[in-house]
Amino acid sequence: MLRKRKLALLGLAAVLSFSVVTACSGSKKENNNAAPGTSSPGVSEGTEPKKDKATFTIFNGVAGSKDGNTNETTIGKMLEDQTGVNFKLEFLVGDLNTKIGTMIASNEYPDVLIPDAAIEEVLNAGAFIPLDDLIDKYGPNIKRVYGKDLDQMRAKDGKLYVLPMSAQVGNFVPDPEPAAAFYIQRRVLEEAGYPKVRTLDQYLKLIEDFANKHKDENLTGMVTLTHDWRFFATSNPPMHLMGYPNDGNVMVDVNTLEAKTYSASDAAKKWLQALNGLNAKGLFDKASFVDNYDQYIAKLTSHKVLGFFDQRWQAANAFNALKDAARKDPSQDAYNYFPLPITFDENIPDAYVDGLGSVITNRGIGITVSAKDPARIIQYFDNLLKEENQILISWGIKGETYEVNEQGRFYRTKEQIDKIDEAFNQKFGFKYYSWNWPSYGANSSFSDGNAKGVGYQPEVFQMSLTEADQKILDQYGIQTYTQLFAKPLERPWYPAWGFAKDAKSPEAMWETKKDELTKKYYPKLVLAASDKFDTIWNDFLKEFGKLDTAGYEKWTTEQVKKKVEAAQGNS
Amino acid sequence: METKAILATSGPAANKKPKGIRLFFIKLARQRALVVMSVPFLIWLFIFKYVPIWGWTIAFQDYKPALKFWDQTWIGFEHFKFLFGDERFVRVLRNTLAMSSINLVLGFVTAIVLALLLNEIRQVAFKRTVQTISYLPHFISWVVAASIIQTTLSPDGILNQMLIWLGIVDKGNEILFLGIPEYFWGIFGASSVWKDIGWNTIVYLAAMTTIDPSQYEAAEIDGASRLKRMRYITLPGIKPVIVVLLIMNIGYLLESGFEPQYLLGNGMNVDYSENIDIFVLKYGIAQSNFSLSIAAGMFKTVVSFVLLFAANHIAKRAGESRLF
Repeated sequence: MLRKRKLALLGLAAVLSFSVVTACSGSKKENNNAAPGTSSPGVSEGTEPKKDKATFTIFNGVAGSKDGNTNETTIGKMLEDQTGVNFKLEFLVGDLNTKIGTMIASNEYPDVLIPDAAIEEVLNAGAFIPLDDLIDKYGPNIKRVYGKDLDQMRAKDGKLYVLPMSAQVGNFVPDPEPAAAFYIQRRVLEEAGYPKVRTLDQYLKLIEDFANKHKDENLTGMVTLTHDWRFFATSNPPMHLMGYPNDGNVMVDVNTLEAKTYSASDAAKKWLQALNGLNAKGLFDKASFVDNYDQYIAKLTSHKVLGFFDQRWQAANAFNALKDAARKDPSQDAYNYFPLPITFDENIPDAYVDGLGSVITNRGIGITVSAKDPARIIQYFDNLLKEENQILISWGIKGETYEVNEQGRFYRTKEQIDKIDEAFNQKFGFKYYSWNWPSYGANSSFSDGNAKGVGYQPEVFQMSLTEADQKILDQYGIQTYTQLFAKPLERPWYPAWGFAKDAKSPEAMWETKKDELTKKYYPKLVLAASDKFDTIWNDFLKEFGKLDTAGYEKWTTEQVKKKVEAAQGNS
Repeated sequence: METKAILATSGPAANKKPKGIRLFFIKLARQRALVVMSVPFLIWLFIFKYVPIWGWTIAFQDYKPALKFWDQTWIGFEHFKFLFGDERFVRVLRNTLAMSSINLVLGFVTAIVLALLLNEIRQVAFKRTVQTISYLPHFISWVVAASIIQTTLSPDGILNQMLIWLGIVDKGNEILFLGIPEYFWGIFGASSVWKDIGWNTIVYLAAMTTIDPSQYEAAEIDGASRLKRMRYITLPGIKPVIVVLLIMNIGYLLESGFEPQYLLGNGMNVDYSENIDIFVLKYGIAQSNFSLSIAAGMFKTVVSFVLLFAANHIAKRAGESRLF
């Protein structure tokens, strides 16, 4: 009896623990369901290829929208009517490299792939097909839009595997808002009487004074975003404060074209010391270094944060939420953020507004070896790049989402602006077609002079301003936010973070190690007691000195010069 | 004894006692139904557990996914040299072992204690409530759990508020728990216990139900107190389960988990939070250096294998029940 029971117990234990083990290991496995077999098999070439319905899959390596079919949207349906092609969109969930790695390991890809930062891995795996012949055959518009930019995208073997996401077409239309900035709550400016703020010291003083006056409100002076790869929002400011645009890890001199890293420079030290001082006064949110992106966005919308630095697109979710709230209740406008051109010194012109740069070569969209019918896909892209369809994906349908005045200028009525919210963007297809496709660049214009980007069209921008927006702009004597900032200089290489580099190259290794070091030391430096700051800074310099920074700078300088040469060859 | 007698008398060669290989085949023929039933599982095991070992060859190549097997460059032990030559790997190994040991010890002790306590509760409604509450966290995804933990431990989180209220911490000097590297193991251990304690008790509670109630009655009549009954009846009753689970878990000592460290880790506590899995993700998969990932995986498997056999051997020596 006893023996049997013992056996039964053993069996029970074994079975249970086994099931626990398998359950745990099962949850670790990536669920790769981007099977390529979804493309319709019945597509026969030759006989009326345009009319046959076909569905292709796209995997987008950037998280964002929810998955779905393009033909479920108004724009997507119209494009399907033109081409017969529908795309099933899948967006990244979780870690990009894991997802791409799984695709590479299984050698099974979606028909079209936007690998984002993992582009080199995908190219090395031979996952993309060369596009040259297809473009020659089916791509007159692709050639028109991209022109010589395509040569910059070519791989070492001289073939073209990826299309850049966008290219500048027509005249350059400036952005009415800066690409990045030091942001400050509007009520801070209002209370201080709308002063001119140019330097970091002035900016911090303003925040400090406001916080001291409103002690009972439990305000935070500044937060910074540090989560995972978004850490650059904390490590980039020294570059901006020195008056350079976002060139990633380097500041590039406009005249000599020399690229210099700044992670361990005096500028970085000054920036971290400023944060350290803020922290000592209890005005810096320590949780910045442990919060994730969602928590960061939640803090920006909590009304408690007075200032922060970020790229506009990265904080856009918070801005939109705040703007929507202020539209419904104008008293909430005080919590909106206002961009400021902050540098270390008033004599340093800022570079927060993007000028005309070069094509970004380390991002793009390609057709994979799993694609059944690449010709249909390239035809779809080519059709999409027709001017009428570029108007469709960005402005929508005339009379429905935009109007044209007697001078032929596009604009939107108040009702149209109010109608187009997140839900409408999704349903109509503006969201799906915002940037996931080969298209005109954001600063482009059409042949009739209208801006490609709706928000870039001065008429629309003016219309979209609320009374409160208008008031604050008037206070500073400007019509657009950009006018507060310096005019962008010509930087034909911009952005330097967009230079393609090999995955296992010394440059990539330098970046990984630099990231690791800054992620470890910057928080320590900011949170340290002020007398310990220098000791930790010296430790950091010692560790940083082990990296081959000179090699990285040399490589980047070479790339910059190549880009400048290519640009000169273009004109 | 009984079984031996049957074997001896009912074999096909009745007058000669079968031995060695012959005995094996006779047994096999007699148990053919069982053998046939196990075949699908053997096939499963072979396909999913043995065939992938072929992939280990990648560890010795400069692997490029686009190339065919015979086009790969063989580089011998380069990746292993890189691994063991890297000071980070030593740190990562330390973290892995420390965290899984913490997990193992805490997990065992707390689960057994809770199971013992639950077993003593006579009020069924209360027992069920406690059980349900204690294993609910197990079903929360680590992503959500990590958010809960982060919020709890944040400077304006409930823990800091409590410390301020108790006067241990001054307002404005809140502790950034996840920013202090040395705290990480503790946070990890406590959150793992919170998440899995209830779930881990299930096996022990099931084991306790098999203990003959008459033993308790007899002990009670002989005047054994509750603690004594736990000590002399319940614990010995579930000992085989404990030992087997311990042996199996020791085999997983290099698996300290991935999600909690990945989600709770940050730049500040990286020296204590980074374990082998995260190292592999960062320097292997993220750099598309698959060979390095495989080399690290191989290392893990070999060490686990050794640990498993060692634990089993010790159990055998100690005269305890064991796996094999």
